[in-house]
Amino acid sequence: MKNKMGIGKKQKQRVNGALRYIVLVVLSLFIVVPVLWMISTAFKPEAQTYSPTPIWIPDPVSFESFKKFWGLYNFGKMTMNSLATCLGAVVLCVAFSCLAGYGITRFKFKGNKQFMGFLLITQMFPSVMLVVPFYAVLTTYRLTNSLLGLVIVYAATNIAFSTWMMVSYFKTIPVELDEAARVDGASNFRIFWKIILPLTVPGIAAVAIFVLINGWNEYMFSSVLISKDSLKTLTVGIVALNTQNQVHWNDMMAASSVSCLPLIVLFLCFQKYFIAGMTGGAVKN
Amino acid sequence: MRTEIGTKVSRGKVKNKERAGYWFIFPAALAMFGLIIYPMFYGLYLSFYNTNLVNKWKFVGMKYYIQAIVKPEFYSSVLLTFGFMLLVVAGHFLFGILLASFLNKEFAGRTVFRVIFMLPWLFPESVIALLFTWIMNPMYGVLNSILKDIGIISENISWLGSAKFAFPAVVFACIWKGYPLVMTMVLSGMQSISQDHYEAAEIDGANKWKQFLNITLPGLRPVLVTTLILDSVWWFKQYTLVYTMTNGGPGNATNLISLNIYGTAFNDLQFGKAAAWGIIVFVICYVISRIYRMVLKDEE
Repeated sequence: MKNKMGIGKKQKQRVNGALRYIVLVVLSLFIVVPVLWMISTAFKPEAQTYSPTPIWIPDPVSFESFKKFWGLYNFGKMTMNSLATCLGAVVLCVAFSCLAGYGITRFKFKGNKQFMGFLLITQMFPSVMLVVPFYAVLTTYRLTNSLLGLVIVYAATNIAFSTWMMVSYFKTIPVELDEAARVDGASNFRIFWKIILPLTVPGIAAVAIFVLINGWNEYMFSSVLISKDSLKTLTVGIVALNTQNQVHWNDMMAASSVSCLPLIVLFLCFQKYFIAGMTGGAVKN
Repeated sequence: MRTEIGTKVSRGKVKNKERAGYWFIFPAALAMFGLIIYPMFYGLYLSFYNTNLVNKWKFVGMKYYIQAIVKPEFYSSVLLTFGFMLLVVAGHFLFGILLASFLNKEFAGRTVFRVIFMLPWLFPESVIALLFTWIMNPMYGVLNSILKDIGIISENISWLGSAKFAFPAVVFACIWKGYPLVMTMVLSGMQSISQDHYEAAEIDGANKWKQFLNITLPGLRPVLVTTLILDSVWWFKQYTLVYTMTNGGPGNATNLISLNIYGTAFNDLQFGKAAAWGIIVFVICYVISRIYRMVLKDEE
């Protein structure tokens, strides 16, 4: 009897395992097939994109679209614009959210709780609603058509969530460390800068990646606030290919593939921080 | 300047120490007030004017708010957005939880699947929109030819060009983009549930489904509530994907409220009206989050 149950269980486990693979493979097709189609289109000569039956493996393999990425379309410049804007926003967000996170977790000042609530409420603001006032305000200060203007906008829209993330990270660092240093006569800023901040590097990495993804992917603000060709960001440049009279799908898919690459590479290198950046302090370990 | 603040405070009194907190949150608070609160009140101010921001400034009071309730152009769009949000968020939770529970166990190839299922999160929304526009292309799209091969359809369908299919097509793309967030949240949540509970349940003879209902779901509750609120609010405000795929069309079939506000402002140059709608959407998002919190708290 006992033996019988044991075999049954093992068989059941094997069936479960097989079932899991089947479900996962079927579902992953929904992801893999579109992505492969994007890559395959990117390597096609244009005539093959208009084939009535889909061609999965381009013949001959063409690198024309990728050459155009750097040449004709000037996407190299746009990539640099995107990168510069993202890095600017990352620096601002990291600096502000670290200071705020430390302040909120280490000091019991009046309005401490209200500030956290206020940060959460700002997440309810539809960004499309901010577009109108941002446009008006930035026009007044001549910050439209400027990457600095875009940096400020990206930082502004990300600071609240970044601060939330840093607060939950600072909470994991024991206050005893601060107290020991304070007994030794270190100033508040010194404690923050020399002792606590170095311990929050994983949290900082998560915030940086969170802001980077959002900035790299952002489209709406960039399309409204930047009209000069030389200052356009990559997402805006790629979408603009869709509104031309003749759409070159191979060029567009090549540009799309290239624009996805940096984040995929970063993800493979820093998976842990990506996950932390996504869950953003919502999950406590 | 900062060290100066530091030394002043370290001189000792408790009150001074607490006050130092203000200096630390000052930069973030200043940025939030200058860049979120000020624009928001500017938007509120605009909403009482009929203005193109250049040479027309006519005070109209509550006109746009009243119109929003009376005329269907606003509320029909809001209703459409609610439907969109419900479908998209339900899709995210269905696939997110399903995949998370599969990926939570050790098995060969788990890392590969985890990376594959994370991919949509790493793609820019505009790229996903273009990719699906291409896949759903009525003439050369690969979707039509695959479906024809399987025998589901016999003639090419213009997915994004027909009022019937555009909405589900857009919802599909949005589910495709957004489920990794739920999946990752749930996965991290699952890892924080102690294994002991499952072992105890196993001894009591509870099957997997019962274990999921009685241990996993309650354990995930705080994570699920946060994710539900953020996901709902974020997708209620969705703009880029839908704008790039259909621009709100055909007709008004996918004219979500964000697209509607954008068009009112930048195509019709009715900035006051757009600002008023923006304020109402903010209130709606706020109410959504309050309702979730209330309902989900009461259940406990």
